[in-house]
Amino acid sequence: MTLKLGRHEFADDATLMMAIVNRTPDSFYDQGATWTEGKAFERVAQVVAQGAEIVDIGGIKAAPGAEVDVEEEKGRIVELVARVREAFPGLVISVDTWRAAVGEAVCRAGADVLNDAWGGADPELVDVAASYDAAIICTHTGGVTPRTRPHRIEYDDVVAAAIADTVAYAERAVAAGVDPRSAVIDPAHDFGKNTFHSLELTRRLGEMVDTGWPVLVSLSNKDFVGETLDLPVGERLLGTLAATAVCAMAGARIYRVHEVVETRQVVDMAWTIAGRRPPARAIRGLQ
Amino acid sequence: MPGVLALLPEYAGLVDPVAELRAACLAALAWLGDGVVVVADAQGARVAVALLAATGHFGAIAPEGQPADASYLVVANGSARRSEKAPGHLDERAFEFDQAVGTALRAPDPAALARVDASLGEELLAGHVAGLHALGELLTSEHHTVSVDYDDDPFGVQYWVMRWTCES
Repeated sequence: MTLKLGRHEFADDATLMMAIVNRTPDSFYDQGATWTEGKAFERVAQVVAQGAEIVDIGGIKAAPGAEVDVEEEKGRIVELVARVREAFPGLVISVDTWRAAVGEAVCRAGADVLNDAWGGADPELVDVAASYDAAIICTHTGGVTPRTRPHRIEYDDVVAAAIADTVAYAERAVAAGVDPRSAVIDPAHDFGKNTFHSLELTRRLGEMVDTGWPVLVSLSNKDFVGETLDLPVGERLLGTLAATAVCAMAGARIYRVHEVVETRQVVDMAWTIAGRRPPARAIRGLQ
Repeated sequence: MPGVLALLPEYAGLVDPVAELRAACLAALAWLGDGVVVVADAQGARVAVALLAATGHFGAIAPEGQPADASYLVVANGSARRSEKAPGHLDERAFEFDQAVGTALRAPDPAALARVDASLGEELLAGHVAGLHALGELLTSEHHTVSVDYDDDPFGVQYWVMRWTCES
């Protein structure tokens, strides 16, 4: 199915890099490196130059931490969204928020996608997406409260749970008026999951792809990579890229990433191995 | 024309590494009349059929009993050992071999084409030397017009795209 992300449409076989842009002082990977609006805008320009089709702007770190209320969240990101919209009309702007009030403000400022990392915690977010013809990312968290860590969560079948919840969320979004081409599902590695859950979701990602909804994966430098390889943040790129290759073979369409260039190469390579993309230029043995 | 597998649609990449050669082949093939008789080995025939189809030719490949006014497409090429990066690495003999074949094609010199050394051609990874011999047998009239669409060795492999008209 054609993917429609707000103002932008993409063909069935397109893979997309969604670059993370944190307008936060405390996110786990960059520790506030792009906290000021100027630095965040520079990061946008950098990832656009690197070929990212999407930026995912967030104003609250996912992990527990200082309370950020609606007004503070809007204050961090709305103006940035407007500035990016004006500077990069061809860029897909996604905003990482679970709050409908924030979603409304950023859509008015030019956002194309609402990335609800917390699995529908605010039921009115879908109505905002529908009102502004925005796309919505429907994640699976196992029903946890936003900004909490998983604790002793277990599933009979984590993949079945992820499929059931994300597909139900996507169908709810469409029922609310979201364009069926604009609902994306995301198993949400690490969210409401231990490392074994995230590994199983990676291994069985094809089952999510088989639902027919476009699949987003957010793997970048996460704890399941770190625990698998016993490596701290900052040393997880290779593990991230290995997981990325597995997800690309399975058919994931959107990759939420810190490292755009490296991920693009891995996805193109895996996508080509899978027979969904031709080589760039092939002459070896064919002269 | 050469039997370059990169010309086949199943080996297409995002960028065409043989765009110039392809254009020359398509132009020459479009110029051929109906009922093209293809002189090629199995791989060369695949390339010929694909490109003929791309130019709207769907004529029979008829090695026997062809009409006197048929068009012929000979699929062959020179050595694939013309540089260190070539498929067969460098063999200095490739240059003299290809020089002789190229001269015979341009003249044209049917007798010289018929004498192309098949065993040396095999060592030099030349494409379908038997096709060059067959071409020599086809160019039997007293007068010919010759045009060269392509003459280069972009990957250390010598390619020619040429057209001959026999005048009776």
